[in-house]
Amino acid sequence: MSEEIVRAEALKKTFTLSKKQQKIEKTGETRRIAVNGLSFSAYRGEIYGLLGPNGAGKTTTLRMLATLIRPDAGDAFICGHSVVKDPAKVRDEIGFMTSELKLEGFFTPDYLFDFFGAMHGVEKGVLQQRKRELFAKFGIDQFAEVQVKNLSTGMLQKVSLVISIVHDPSVVIFDEPTNGLDVLTAKVVTDFLAELKAMGKSIILSTHIFSLVEKLCDRVGIIFDGKMAAEGTLEEIAKGDLETSFFNLYHALKGETV
Amino acid sequence: MKLWSLMRKEFHRFFHDPRLIVTMLLPGIVIFLLYTFVGEAVHTEPEKQNYKVFLQGESVTTAYIQAAIEANGDTVEWLPVENEADAGAAVEAGEAAAIMTFSTHFDDVFTDLTKTDGTVSILYDPLNEAGSSFYAISNAVLQKIGMKFSIQAVSIASEEHIGREVMQQILPFIIVCFVFSACMSVTLESVAGEKERGTLSTILVTSAKRSQIALGKIVPLACISMLGALSSFLGVVFSMPKLMGISVNFLGGYQVGSYFLLLLLIISFVPLIVALISTISTAARSVKEASAYTSVLMILVMVISLVAAFLPAIGDWVIAIPVLNAVVFTQELLAGALPVWQSLVSVGVNLLYTAALVFVMTKMLSSEKIMFGK
Ligand SMILES: Nc1ncnc2c1ncn2[C@@H]1O[C@H](COP(=O)(O)OP(=O)(O)OP(=O)(O)O)[C@@H](O)[C@H]1O
Ligand SMILES: [Mg+2]
Repeated sequence: MSEEIVRAEALKKTFTLSKKQQKIEKTGETRRIAVNGLSFSAYRGEIYGLLGPNGAGKTTTLRMLATLIRPDAGDAFICGHSVVKDPAKVRDEIGFMTSELKLEGFFTPDYLFDFFGAMHGVEKGVLQQRKRELFAKFGIDQFAEVQVKNLSTGMLQKVSLVISIVHDPSVVIFDEPTNGLDVLTAKVVTDFLAELKAMGKSIILSTHIFSLVEKLCDRVGIIFDGKMAAEGTLEEIAKGDLETSFFNLYHALKGETV
Repeated sequence: MKLWSLMRKEFHRFFHDPRLIVTMLLPGIVIFLLYTFVGEAVHTEPEKQNYKVFLQGESVTTAYIQAAIEANGDTVEWLPVENEADAGAAVEAGEAAAIMTFSTHFDDVFTDLTKTDGTVSILYDPLNEAGSSFYAISNAVLQKIGMKFSIQAVSIASEEHIGREVMQQILPFIIVCFVFSACMSVTLESVAGEKERGTLSTILVTSAKRSQIALGKIVPLACISMLGALSSFLGVVFSMPKLMGISVNFLGGYQVGSYFLLLLLIISFVPLIVALISTISTAARSVKEASAYTSVLMILVMVISLVAAFLPAIGDWVIAIPVLNAVVFTQELLAGALPVWQSLVSVGVNLLYTAALVFVMTKMLSSEKIMFGK
């Protein structure tokens, strides 16, 4: 087994629910344990998939890994840096992508690449070199000077992906990579992930789509209600059919039929 | 380095958007047009001025004042005071410009620097053109001499030129409104807009410090909004001759000093307002919410400055109240006074509030509830 690059140790996060949220979710409870003592490890050069239903705590977990929110208890280490004690170091080691993170439509890919490079403190010469390589590799070079708002959805997706790895992070964290995308754009993303893996990056993604896990992931963690229900390599977990195993696990834990 | 990139991004967006640039230049043009045309309608300027001034006591400084007036192509006629009541009535009726009273031994200070108890008072009607010009010129000349004696303006106000008085009084209010809307037009879009569109979170994922992100917004947006303030200032400067009924060029050093203070005051509340709107925008969930809060703030600021415009002689405690301090001292400047330390302290106070708001915004950017709450 290769080197451990991400380690989550008993991560816990509780949210206070607002009145509005209580109404929307038709619940009287004021606190929600979104992530409840979650631990797992991901290894260098592999794709790790967090699989779980809506509200399982996937986004919350990934946000804690990306240092956007702080765990109430527990810690996670990325390339040995603690997300609690050393968030700035962690941010330079990771690329974080979600559909909620947007690029300003006014600027061009060229400008934004330089800007986010500077935000990560990438040295100028290195940055230009990387821009040439990545833009050529993903076919962005002809669109480098087009304002982002005028790009096609697929091209915009490519630009966002490339910019998330502007600082050559060792770990890429991806929340619901294909959610809400049409088939063509989704393919852009999955191809990109495969490409990243080929480049030697480690990837952590969250999803509720079985086929995505089967196609891409080396290791899988299944979460229900903020807890790890099962973890292992794809073969260990899927035992031939991921979907069947998933629902078996669900019934075993919750004792209900869906 | 990161801060610089953040700031450059804001400038880049601004200078590539012609609409925004026009927004910034408009206030000054509007003030100029308003005050030039309305100013013209409110009073007609005589070709040459002959100042009739009642003189009580004597001083060599009257010769300097006369020289200054004649240098401008006008003349002055010094009249003896036979009956104080008649003289006062003449000033009130606009037949004479002022009554100038020197204390006995006023000139002693020129031979013995310790004799600083000389006083001079000028009774004039600030709404009368000749009166206010005479006061402005005398004041300028006496300030320039730089000896220590007290200058007192005893003003009476007739109702004739009420139009000009009102205009003079609401000018600070107009400036505040224009500057506020300049700040609002760039800041709401840039801060609340970026938060709503999710482009601010993209920056939060990088290793840029939260304080850098806050400063990276407030500093460039304040600089940009200052263009609006600068434009307002120039509008005031160029409409000043019409407003005061005097030409700018002969007032020399004193006038430069008050223009400088005026500019400082106007500029000092720009970063403050930008920081306020930025903080509100960071806290708000959407541009809509941010504009609602900002409108409330704008109404508040407008009411405060309008009230200040019509409250005579507020105490010096206004120095501690942001924006209001600028309004009050701008007004005093426009009325011909030179509140130097009050203006400088106000500028400092406004900057302090701004720094506090930068800190608050940094805290907000670090707050997961505000940035990633549901
Ligand atoms: N900022 C927040 N404030 C309050 N509650 C929150 C917050 N973020 C998440 N939650 C709650 O925590 C639980 C876990 O949410 P999370 O977004 O992590 O789930 P998820 O696995 O990503 O689900 P989905 O598939 O819907 O994206 C949910 O019940 C959610 O309502
Ligand atoms: Mg989610």
